[in-house]
Amino acid sequence: MKKFTVFVTVFLIAFPLGILFYKSRVLNLSLLPQMVDDVWNFHLTARPKGEHKTFSFPIPRPGPGIKVTDEKVRTKDFEVFIDSNSDSSLATWTSKEPINRRVTYSARIDLQPINYKNIAKDNTSTESYPKGLQKFLIVPELIPADVEAIKLLESAILEGSEDKTSAIRKIYYYVEEEIQRNTDIKTIHETLGTGKGSPLVKAKLFNIMARRREVPSRIVVMVRMPNKSQKEESSKLRFTFANEVFLNNKWIPIDTNRGYFGERPDSFMVIYRNYEEIEKLISKKRVTYAIQAERARINRYNRAEFKKEVVKTDSIFAKFSLYRLPLPLQTMFTTILLIPIGTLVLSLARNIIGIPTFGIFTPILLTLFFKETSFGFGMVFFFIVVLIGIGERYVLDKFYLLAVPRLSILLTLVIILMITYTVLSADISTISQKHLAFFPIVIVTTNIERLSIMITEEGLVNTLKTLLGTLLIAVLGYSMYSVTALEMFMFTNPELLFTVIGLLILIGKYKGYRISEFIRFRDLVRQKKKLESESA
Amino acid sequence: MIFQDLREMGILGINNRVGRYILRHNKRKNYPLVDNKVLTAQRAEAWGIAMPQNYMVIENYGSLKNLHLKIQNYDSFVIKPANGSQGNGIIVIKEIIKESFGDDVRILCRRSNDKLMEIDEVKHHISGILSGLYSLSGQSDTAIIQAKIDKHAIFDDYSFGGIPDIRVIVFEGYPVMSMVRLPTKSSDGRANLHQGAIGAGLNLSNGWTNNAVIKNQVIDVHPDTGHKISGLKLPFWTEILELAARCYDMVELGYLGADIVLTPDQGPILLELNARPGLGIQIANLAGLVPRLEKIRNEAPRNVLARERVEFSMKHF
Repeated sequence: MKKFTVFVTVFLIAFPLGILFYKSRVLNLSLLPQMVDDVWNFHLTARPKGEHKTFSFPIPRPGPGIKVTDEKVRTKDFEVFIDSNSDSSLATWTSKEPINRRVTYSARIDLQPINYKNIAKDNTSTESYPKGLQKFLIVPELIPADVEAIKLLESAILEGSEDKTSAIRKIYYYVEEEIQRNTDIKTIHETLGTGKGSPLVKAKLFNIMARRREVPSRIVVMVRMPNKSQKEESSKLRFTFANEVFLNNKWIPIDTNRGYFGERPDSFMVIYRNYEEIEKLISKKRVTYAIQAERARINRYNRAEFKKEVVKTDSIFAKFSLYRLPLPLQTMFTTILLIPIGTLVLSLARNIIGIPTFGIFTPILLTLFFKETSFGFGMVFFFIVVLIGIGERYVLDKFYLLAVPRLSILLTLVIILMITYTVLSADISTISQKHLAFFPIVIVTTNIERLSIMITEEGLVNTLKTLLGTLLIAVLGYSMYSVTALEMFMFTNPELLFTVIGLLILIGKYKGYRISEFIRFRDLVRQKKKLESESA
Repeated sequence: MIFQDLREMGILGINNRVGRYILRHNKRKNYPLVDNKVLTAQRAEAWGIAMPQNYMVIENYGSLKNLHLKIQNYDSFVIKPANGSQGNGIIVIKEIIKESFGDDVRILCRRSNDKLMEIDEVKHHISGILSGLYSLSGQSDTAIIQAKIDKHAIFDDYSFGGIPDIRVIVFEGYPVMSMVRLPTKSSDGRANLHQGAIGAGLNLSNGWTNNAVIKNQVIDVHPDTGHKISGLKLPFWTEILELAARCYDMVELGYLGADIVLTPDQGPILLELNARPGLGIQIANLAGLVPRLEKIRNEAPRNVLARERVEFSMKHF
């Protein structure tokens, strides 16, 4: 290679790598945005009943197993004050006029399961609890009959001499197993009489019995997130209740309704940790509310955070970052930026391996088509297009049409196929969102005509080989798109495109044999050797 | 390395052919002279290089209208696209049949494979050529109606159907390697290696065949006629090589493939030129191109007459 070529190639490959190094070492930028776990988009609307100038409602607060980001509280017409004590948050909206509209709160919630295994024995004396916990020891007032009934219960299930952990466990087993769930029974009195109770009453009974054993205890207000099979958008969620007890200096979650001891799965979000404080605020007499939550899977990478990170460096990259673009453009470029990598794969496959393909960029167009729709659908659709292409030629041959109009007819047929599919298909959600979905296949169609010519001229075997080669590279490209990290890496560091150019120059300069030529000339080598050994 | 055998034999690969020989030695502006057979024919006439006579050049659909009147004057002809490759789009008509029904005259064309074509089918095929169905780049093309060449008697035992042609690779005006392509039944009478024609390597020194293959398999006899290929020696051998060597002077392409046919009466004539000749010739000759190309690059004198270049090649290869 000439010195100049070497210089240009080395520069093209090394320069972007240098930039990468600079970004990561000098600017301390991460080369990829942080991964976001599957998070919940949480949305709450509430409206007070009656004329109130102030209105309070619980909102989520970060704590064990729960992260809250991107909080948005509508503040346009009201003042909002958020009171956060160490365990819970309460938002208070105030206005000069009575509040007669809905107030909204939204946030991204990341939930992690909590699981305490092997909770140790606890013999803490009541006096040694910190002052803040004293309120969680006050036993609510009950009518004497109920007190008697509870005492009777205690003597039946507890020994009286066991440590607090063991006692809590026994109370838990009793409430969880012996009290049947019945949403109509809403008072302690009824529950003690019938052995049935609503989730809230069960939580209340557990709370009373725990406090009577001098274990700090509270009722937590939770939201149960929708599970995957539910229609997420339409489901309105309600508050539900469970308990927490303070053992070994930790608040331990307990759920007597769903049977969790020392454990809280990530489908439950605690919104307030002391029911007694907000009992009135959330009662149906005072407020109407609606809670919605849906899984946000789209942004696996936290682009917003990364944008902040880039802007903060105040470097030239802040100005030229693709993260400054509006989101639809960002999504488009994430796809487009992988095309050059695809050409790299294509060049390798064609010039170094020697895989035959239809047209030069057909495999990449197919890759885009698969990516925009789905792999299975794309394959099926492509084969239908191929069949139409071959069938069309057999039928239209009798019409003696010129090539360009005939190709255009093929194209129109494919478009009719698309429309038919889309209209008839029950599930158009995968396609409707994408502007480019069918565009690549339309271009591919123009190459399909060559396929039927090739069958007549070079035979079925060669045609199938070429078809397979095309599909193979398309599949390779598609698997490349499935690596989200690669996609994000190119999007975050588009300067790598110059490295791609450098690598393409290297491939373009390759003068050696193709792997396919090893196969093509294999017989030649063998026969030549045979001849030589015969003459020797 | 798996390529070591190939390298030792000096096999030329596609990447090497393009990168080291075609891109370096063939000027882009001269490509139309070989890609477009109309231009090749004009050039050849000026240089006194014999080619099949062009009866007609059809450039637009309008001139198709009276085609049946014009072709009545000939006994046989060949239709080919001016910018075609690998023999695609070529139809050989060996007989024109006129049938009269009162005042009506119906014209049928008998193809070399004995299939009959209506005149409308012929027109349809030509319009396919015009719209670029067979052209190298897919752009609209010109159709040539050309005199049909007859087979030289020497090939009677070595060819099924069509006319064999002789491919000579010419590098910087020096013949490098040669083979004769013999049509077979499976190649549908066409001299196309891809379709199963025989490729028989030729000794540059004397025009004797040295080896023969179908696809990649070495063969001894022609599968359709049963004759031993090794008994074939081409007549007019020096003339053939000189004709090929002169093509270099004509189109100034350093790496060139000349396709030559032997006619019963005119001797060797040029059929077409190729700026990107294939690599299968190495299989037909059981030999690599690279050592010969490099010998010419390093040892052959420049600016000498075609006759002297042919002498060099006949002596060394």
